[in-house]
Amino acid sequence: MIDSPTETVLHSETVHLVIPCRPEYVGVARLAILGIASRMPFSYDEVEDVRLAVGEACTHAVERAGAAAATIRIVSTINSHALKIEVSDDIPAGSIAVLSEESRLLKEAGVDQQGLGALLMEILVDDVTVDTTSTGTHVVLTKYAPD
Amino acid sequence: MNLTMNSRTPSETTCILDIAGEVDVYTSPQLKHDLVQMAERGVKQIIVNLSQVEYLDSTGLGVLIGGLKRMREAGGNLTLVGPGMRIQRIFEITGLNKIFEIYETEEEALAKEGGAE
Repeated sequence: MIDSPTETVLHSETVHLVIPCRPEYVGVARLAILGIASRMPFSYDEVEDVRLAVGEACTHAVERAGAAAATIRIVSTINSHALKIEVSDDIPAGSIAVLSEESRLLKEAGVDQQGLGALLMEILVDDVTVDTTSTGTHVVLTKYAPD
Repeated sequence: MNLTMNSRTPSETTCILDIAGEVDVYTSPQLKHDLVQMAERGVKQIIVNLSQVEYLDSTGLGVLIGGLKRMREAGGNLTLVGPGMRIQRIFEITGLNKIFEIYETEEEALAKEGGAE
């Protein structure tokens, strides 16, 4: 739902998206973010960067949820200066899905897959904050408009 | 949001896996399944053609790293071919371009990896 129907972004507009915390819905979030980020004066590569960063934030939630029922809430705030995307889940801290064979292989190879996702987020957007509490994790991704 | 895969066998021990579409947390288990099956069949050289891949995230990278480790442990190798600029950039910013052998063309990969006999 877009709060304001205006075509030019002179003030903040907010888009809310709530998806089940399951792998098949991460692509839905990415598709929505593609449309939202395209409203900013970003280059094609910058839009793709935002899309990948949001995908990583959602994937992080999906992997922590495992088979548990959970929800991802994505709130995108767009204005002339920046695009801020908040990705929140309701997975309690300390919930870790069963370590897969792939995760074991990666650990043996000295690679942390969640670390890869975090690294991608850090590089692809300008600001990243991750706050984990007893009720869930809140990731804020910010990409500033070019000067 | 889909992933299609097709495999070719230019020699008994070499397999080329063509991937098209999006490799993410939803589709990467399919990729893992195919890579594990190839390793179990005794394939020594897997060449993954990424030229038609439009999206690759950390789970896709994880599956490829897992496949590489599995193949190297068995005395084989897994190499990559033809990633587009977006996909190439993901390998570069994660530093994984230093772990994988990435070739521009299949011919180059086959020649370097000795699978064209």
